[in-house]
Amino acid sequence: MPKEWLAEELSEQYVADYKAFNFVDGEGVRCSLYLSGCPFRCPGCYNVAAQNFHYGQPYTAELEQQIIDDLSQDYVQGLTLLGGEPFLNTQVGIRICERVRQEFGQTKDIWSWSGYTWDELQQDSTDKLKMLSLIDILVDGRFLKDQMDLSLQFRGSANQRIIDVPQSLARHEVVIWDKLVR
Amino acid sequence: MGTRAAATSLDQLRELPVIKRGGTQTKFHPYKLNYVLAQLVPAEADRQAVRQALVVHYRTATAIETRELRPALIQILQDLDLTTAAKAYQDYFIAEQARFSAATNVRDRIEQLFSRDANVVHENANKDSNVFNTQRDLEAGAASRAIGLKMLPDLVAKAHLRGDIHWHDLDYSPVTPETNCCLIDFDGMFKNGYKIGNAEVASPRSIQTATAQMAQIIANVASLQYGGCSANRVDQLLAPFAAINYQKHLADAEKWVVAAQREAYAQTKTKKDIYDAMQALEYEINTLYSSQGQTPFTTVNFGLGTSWIEREIQTAILKIRIKGLGKEQRTAIFPKLIFTVKRGLNLDPTDPNYDIKSLAIACATKRMYPDLLMYDKIKALTGSFKTPMGCRSFLQGWRDENGVEVNSGRMNLGVVTVNLPRIALSAHGDQTLFWEIFEERMATCHQALAYRIERTKEAQPENAPLLYMYGAFGKRLQPGESVDALFKNERATISLGYIGIYEVCTTFFGPDWEQDAAALAFAEKVVKALRDKCQQWAQASGYHYSLYSTPAESLTDTFCRDDILKFGRVPDVTDKEYYTNSFHYDVRKHPTPFDKLTLEERFPKYASGGFIHYCEYPNLTQNPKALEAVWDWAYDHVGYLGTNTAIDQCFECGFKGEFKSTARGFVCPQCGNHDPKTCDVVKRTCGYLGNPQQRPMVHGRHVEITSRQKNMSPEMIKNAARYERTKQSDAQRMVSGGAK
Repeated sequence: MPKEWLAEELSEQYVADYKAFNFVDGEGVRCSLYLSGCPFRCPGCYNVAAQNFHYGQPYTAELEQQIIDDLSQDYVQGLTLLGGEPFLNTQVGIRICERVRQEFGQTKDIWSWSGYTWDELQQDSTDKLKMLSLIDILVDGRFLKDQMDLSLQFRGSANQRIIDVPQSLARHEVVIWDKLVR
Repeated sequence: MGTRAAATSLDQLRELPVIKRGGTQTKFHPYKLNYVLAQLVPAEADRQAVRQALVVHYRTATAIETRELRPALIQILQDLDLTTAAKAYQDYFIAEQARFSAATNVRDRIEQLFSRDANVVHENANKDSNVFNTQRDLEAGAASRAIGLKMLPDLVAKAHLRGDIHWHDLDYSPVTPETNCCLIDFDGMFKNGYKIGNAEVASPRSIQTATAQMAQIIANVASLQYGGCSANRVDQLLAPFAAINYQKHLADAEKWVVAAQREAYAQTKTKKDIYDAMQALEYEINTLYSSQGQTPFTTVNFGLGTSWIEREIQTAILKIRIKGLGKEQRTAIFPKLIFTVKRGLNLDPTDPNYDIKSLAIACATKRMYPDLLMYDKIKALTGSFKTPMGCRSFLQGWRDENGVEVNSGRMNLGVVTVNLPRIALSAHGDQTLFWEIFEERMATCHQALAYRIERTKEAQPENAPLLYMYGAFGKRLQPGESVDALFKNERATISLGYIGIYEVCTTFFGPDWEQDAAALAFAEKVVKALRDKCQQWAQASGYHYSLYSTPAESLTDTFCRDDILKFGRVPDVTDKEYYTNSFHYDVRKHPTPFDKLTLEERFPKYASGGFIHYCEYPNLTQNPKALEAVWDWAYDHVGYLGTNTAIDQCFECGFKGEFKSTARGFVCPQCGNHDPKTCDVVKRTCGYLGNPQQRPMVHGRHVEITSRQKNMSPEMIKNAARYERTKQSDAQRMVSGGAK
């Protein structure tokens, strides 16, 4: 049900993990921020601990500065927001996305993984839509164990899509990332 | 080990010269006696008494004869009622003598081989000893080792047996005065023709003939020397022969094709010829067997050419490698591919050959190769651009008597590697003592290398006709002429190898020293000191001594095993059961590629005679951009970079990625398959790749160990641990090239 879950009610603004310079959370070398808390609780979730909104550490200004410093390395392509559920931590998500745009403009990209589908997000709260508008690539949808496929690019199950967000918003329909391999 | 105060009393003996059994004169090193006493005498008071008695014994002496030192020490031990120690010392000496005489006894060695003694079999486990030619090589190797040890200078042979240093390729050298590795002068051979056996071979008239000749030459060179051989700039090398194909097709077209389409026709036909020729070369090299019973350690370098033919050759090499070998499309282990990256040519998206670099990235994510040479860095580090000979050994920039830069046709004469962690362990945290032992060990290495040069010079041109008489080494000598013409005036290199900078620094600064400025400075000082020795020796002799970050395939295991016997299980040094290769980052840690290269990049300017960096990645087939980010960053930091990524394949279930490492080898994480017939496991532990799952002998041992595991007694656990160790060293030897 749209707007059933809201960041303002659920988020503790906690961070489960931060991984600088990794090779698996999207295209190129990336810095990944794992935001805590996810009520979807997909069976087979790879990050069960992060389903708790109180897991990990509070998001801090120091961490934010660290992320900005790490992103400023030439070899880093961009920031990745994962979880947990980033779209139920929009306080942190919007803040870091805006900071990235302010510091780097469009020279660094932002990817995010969400349990929400594109269509669900379209009907949801304004904070979710605002965060979506700051993102370049969305990998959408719940992880479905029976559709699990380890050979998929950047996804765990076949229902998930790698969506080009600006194109999709402009055309009002889902546009798949043009570099999709499989 | 003795205290500082104790060492001081022995220091009084430093004034005396030490006369070795062979008559050579050296200095007195108190640390050696302190080590012996620490092993023999439990109580420090007793040890101090022995030291004092020894100083008294030599009070009026003018020299210490090592022949006399042992009985004197035994007498002192007995006089002090330390009879157990006296006996142990005597027994140790007798055992050492027996070990040396066994190692130099040809009959013993051969008998061990025929009885398939575990140690001998393991020593050669990279070779499939079921095959006749390999069996012959093992037999000859066993004899050569024994004879070779007797030929070597006494101090060198003993230092080798003790594990102070390693004389590489003892199964060949010094009995056969072979060179180690080289850049074959294909260009000169193609232009001028050559002779193999009874056949006079003329200049090739097509790219197919040129690559067929390359395979023949490689097979022959690989059997006439020990280590790897390389083909420099093959796209540029082969382009003139593909141009002949093009001209032939164009001539045909004039007869049969309408004018407007003739060029397109000739180009299409030539592209097909290029692809076929390069594919034939890939298969030929993988199906060759050298006299050592191995696939020749072959390296192919490419990437600098810009003409359409050169671009086509580069593209073909990569496409063929991506496709894989055979029906199952296995990853080719040979030849090692090295792609040259150059700013302005192929580094950036706006560069003309950027498309080929993109293909190289895709190839590396699927097949690990190609490794990369960064054009500008290689020039800066080694004085000229060229590919390494084999897996990592680099020639240094050199000009001939006419001032012309020459790379192809030059070679490396051999390698002796020093066990650096042993020096550090012997020094017990005392840097002054470290440098004292370092000097002593360097003298042994120098003696070994100088002997190797002299021995190699004794080859006659007719011993290795293709190398010395028909152009592979770039000059054509007559029978009876001195081969030294090819070596002297620094045309050849000879290498001092080293291993274990990580362990050296760990003994002085603890296991996590990588961020410690003092430790880094010390690491750099050690490597620079090695280089300085090489330069001194070069200046004195006219031969180019180069510092070589040894591949350390077997040494990583054997030096460490020797030192466990000598020093026990020292945390983070010997207790890991391997030594870290050359200047490489501790493999147990997880630095980012950028952190790893930042630590390592300070060393190759000293170790310019041999170096390579690797980074470990997850499977990157779907994220080539990430690999490109590292490559691009690395361009301004390191000269030679390898990609290690998870590219194992299971033909049972179709899994592609990283196989799980288990006691019995590697298994598919999806279906548990570990049958080498239906899986392809590719790993790199040094410059070359290998298939650790594919060797029958090791696989049989896997089965044996697996069946043992179910009811493990402590003895069985020990066996399993020992087996794990051998397996590691086997895997490393398997992928070895160049010096062994």
